[in-house]
Amino acid sequence: MGKVKGMSESVGVAPIVDMRNISKAFGAVQALRDVDLRLYPGEILGLVGDNSAGKSTLMKIMTGAYHRDSGEILVAGGVTNFRSPHESRAVGIEMIYQDFALCGNMDVGQNIFLGRWPVKGWFVDRKKMYAEADEVLKRLKVDVNSVHQRVESLSGGRQQSVAIARAISFDPRVIILDEPTANLSVMATQRLLETMLELKKHGVAQIIISHRLQDIFAVGDRVMVLKRGENVGERVIKNTTEHEVLQIIVSGVKGKNGKGPPAPAVKAKVKPAAKRVAKK
Amino acid sequence: MVERAAILKGRPPSQFVGGWEAGLIGLMALLYIAGALINPAFFGTTDALHALLRDSARYGVMAVGMTFVIVNKDIDLSVGSTFGLVGVAFSIVFSPTHYDYSLAAALLFCVFLGMVIGLINGVLVTFLRVPAFIATLTILLIGRGMVLGLTGGKTIAYPAKAADYAWFFHLSETNAFGFNNQIVIFLVIAVLGAIVLAKTRWGYETFATGGNEQAAIYAGIPTRWVRIRAYLMSSLCATLAGLMAIAQDKGVTSQFGLSAELIVIASVIIGGASILGGRGRVIGSCLGAVLTVLINKVLREGWPTTRVIKVDGVDITVNATSQLPAGAVPAFLGLILVVAVLIEPYIIRRQVPARLWAWLRGKAPPPPPESGGIAIEGAQTRGTMASDKALTAKGFGKFLARRDALAIVLVAALWFMGLYLRPDYWWNLPNTFAILLNFTEVALLTIGLTYVIACGDIDLSVGAVLALAGSTAAYCVKALGMDPMAAVAMGMLAGTSAGAVNGLLTVGFGLPSFIATLGMYYIARGLASWVVAGQQLTGFPERFNLFGRKIADIFATYGIELPLGTLRAFAEVVSVQTLWTVLVAVIAGIILGYMPFGQRVYATGGNLRAAAYAGINTGRVRFMSMVFAGLCAAMAGIINVAYFRSFNPVAGQFRELDAIASVIIGGGSIFGGYGTIIGSLAGAAVITLVRALLQLNIITADGRSIVLPQHWVNVFIGLILIAAVLIDIWLRQANIFARVRGLLAKGRLWAR
Repeated sequence: MGKVKGMSESVGVAPIVDMRNISKAFGAVQALRDVDLRLYPGEILGLVGDNSAGKSTLMKIMTGAYHRDSGEILVAGGVTNFRSPHESRAVGIEMIYQDFALCGNMDVGQNIFLGRWPVKGWFVDRKKMYAEADEVLKRLKVDVNSVHQRVESLSGGRQQSVAIARAISFDPRVIILDEPTANLSVMATQRLLETMLELKKHGVAQIIISHRLQDIFAVGDRVMVLKRGENVGERVIKNTTEHEVLQIIVSGVKGKNGKGPPAPAVKAKVKPAAKRVAKK
Repeated sequence: MVERAAILKGRPPSQFVGGWEAGLIGLMALLYIAGALINPAFFGTTDALHALLRDSARYGVMAVGMTFVIVNKDIDLSVGSTFGLVGVAFSIVFSPTHYDYSLAAALLFCVFLGMVIGLINGVLVTFLRVPAFIATLTILLIGRGMVLGLTGGKTIAYPAKAADYAWFFHLSETNAFGFNNQIVIFLVIAVLGAIVLAKTRWGYETFATGGNEQAAIYAGIPTRWVRIRAYLMSSLCATLAGLMAIAQDKGVTSQFGLSAELIVIASVIIGGASILGGRGRVIGSCLGAVLTVLINKVLREGWPTTRVIKVDGVDITVNATSQLPAGAVPAFLGLILVVAVLIEPYIIRRQVPARLWAWLRGKAPPPPPESGGIAIEGAQTRGTMASDKALTAKGFGKFLARRDALAIVLVAALWFMGLYLRPDYWWNLPNTFAILLNFTEVALLTIGLTYVIACGDIDLSVGAVLALAGSTAAYCVKALGMDPMAAVAMGMLAGTSAGAVNGLLTVGFGLPSFIATLGMYYIARGLASWVVAGQQLTGFPERFNLFGRKIADIFATYGIELPLGTLRAFAEVVSVQTLWTVLVAVIAGIILGYMPFGQRVYATGGNLRAAAYAGINTGRVRFMSMVFAGLCAAMAGIINVAYFRSFNPVAGQFRELDAIASVIIGGGSIFGGYGTIIGSLAGAAVITLVRALLQLNIITADGRSIVLPQHWVNVFIGLILIAAVLIDIWLRQANIFARVRGLLAKGRLWAR
């Protein structure tokens, strides 16, 4: 568990999430093998890797949707043992799903408070709900016309804004974004990245799972590569290039890339676009 | 290489026949032997086997067509009425008492009719995107209404003319080889169907469409045509079956083909097909048909008993046959349908027989089947701009953008139409309150159903549960002599239990709600007539009848004289049921509109997964909604019995149609997530006014009066339901006007 190259800027700050030696098997398939993950407050960590590299499994273990076979998870220094996503939400870990998980038939305010609508006695306190929803949206600086608008009448980017607004309304310390740009237009992607930087200013740590390296390079501080359930390398964004990260994704080996020696050169030059196609 | 050749040549396609069919044959043999032991006079002869096969033939033919529909992940509930309608159409065209055309004309007309029904079903389900169960259920009820309307409830028979066309009517008689020609037809259709489904492109396209329609579309399969084709096959098979029955009976009654869809669907499902599509075999379906008909026969046949009767103090032993009462057979068949639907996901998909066999031999069980992500839930609604309009619109536009605008406009329009048609009568108070009485029954059902539909489920059983609760209460108060209040409680309990069973089947066992409640539809109605079998339940204590009386009657019963004035006038026109409905509506409306539970309902119906992520116990919400729908139906049933002072087994018939139409007209969506109590009540008012208008005694200029018979009213309500669903899908959700406007605007741009 050596220190990652270029980590010096974070030295002295305690990690908000510290996952140590996480292993998980589904039947005969070893999905994760001794994976470490550290996330510092206010940091944006890119999590990349091929399909079936174990990215989603790792995140689901973090939120408690899956249960790890071994290893431990410390949140803000305390050992945790989540049995469901609701428990991780209580300590401030929020996940935003790829399809946003919103109810299209309900309006923006109702969706932000989905499942925990404020009540006054027996009744839903609509005034409070819309006022607070409005406040959250303002804090996020997103452009949703009205908290009374139905979510299914919003564009994909705005739906995502609502999903993020919903996540930050929990005052989370960690937000996990699963392929957040997969369904977005170029403009919406740009807005999302701005939103992520805005959240970073508020000290929220974020993990972004994405196939688009340029997004991670636009906002990320650090990138971590998983391959066949193993952590095969970590880089600080400003000290690396997309090409180097791509090489690690394609041909990284555990223990070789993480601690300094550069990844072995790949013979064929893989273009990011071609790579994405190959994955589908 | 040898192995490869064996795989290529030696094995019949798995879509053809499998272990399940062997199991069915074994079960049938056991049942038959049991039947023969219980009643050797009936089952012990070859005649019985022959009769069984003959009677299975018609259902088997229909099951062949239905297999294609169900493998496509659709359902066709209309086969029973197609069967009946074809019979009636043939009889009317052919019979000397009616049009008296030739046989060829009658046959041509029937085939044409069958194709039209199949096309209507197919187009509604594919191009117009109406959920299959709602489209075909409506066609079923419209068809039954037409059968009743066309026959006028009478029998049409023409044995004399049939003798002139011996070759056709011989089709259903015993041939030279000693068995019935219907069996030959059945075999031919079954073999044809099995080959088409298992070995041709048509069959492969069907499996692809049912397995994953999206993938099939991407692969270039014309899935709409595949589905329409299956509906055409299904109704043509029903047509053939109807003609077979006509050839045998040489006449029709208004009961022709009643509940046949139940037997046919149960047959296909018992035969191993999956209600979730993509699985099913024609041979299995045919064996399922024989099995279901056998069960049907066993249930109907009864068993010999000896009764001891005391006559003048002397014991006399009498031989008799004890039979199950009338309602028991549909109740059992409904139960079989539900159990059969559970077979596929819980036994076939989990490989229970193979694992049991391995366990018996002491071997390791076969590897667990690959479980794909099979979504039981229906499609979710997507992409509407209506709410955008609601935010920007002003004045009257704002009103029109409301989802319940249609219902409110219709209520006003229909009421004024009534005023226009009968200015002398429509306006006065008795008529208004008569309409209000009819309104309360639909309204109560609608209130419960609004919750279920907003949850994204459906309850087809509300009308039947109404009958069940009514008959239970009537039986308890009359036959058991219970206290009226206790009897009411028993009725409520019966209705609530039916709702709970619906909830358990949909939430607990994961069945699609339409198939679970369809099972309950037959079970509850069967039980209702079973409970009162052979008894005229009437003449209840007046305390019981008070549930359907006016307020003033209550005071009168307890001997209280109300002072003259507003209070008395009020008590003399307002009835208990009206007050009760208002109370239930207000409570249900507040819960749905202003309390967290209502929000949970909308979230569950809008996006089940998102609601679950947000920590909502969606199963509980859906279960409670189903129970509430049962409770509301029970209230309506008890009020119905108290109001009419007797229980009629057809109480609440077609009411599910009224209630579903009310919710949809009032702004609900058949896909879930929408619906308000106010809107649904307005929708119920629309339906009530339509019924009142259609039954209005219109006096023409020359002094004749015209009344539309009840059967045709039901046909009309069915049409309204279809129209309401289409309006919901195409105007409220897809906003077709805006799209057309957009296209026109684009056209104008090009022109410039």
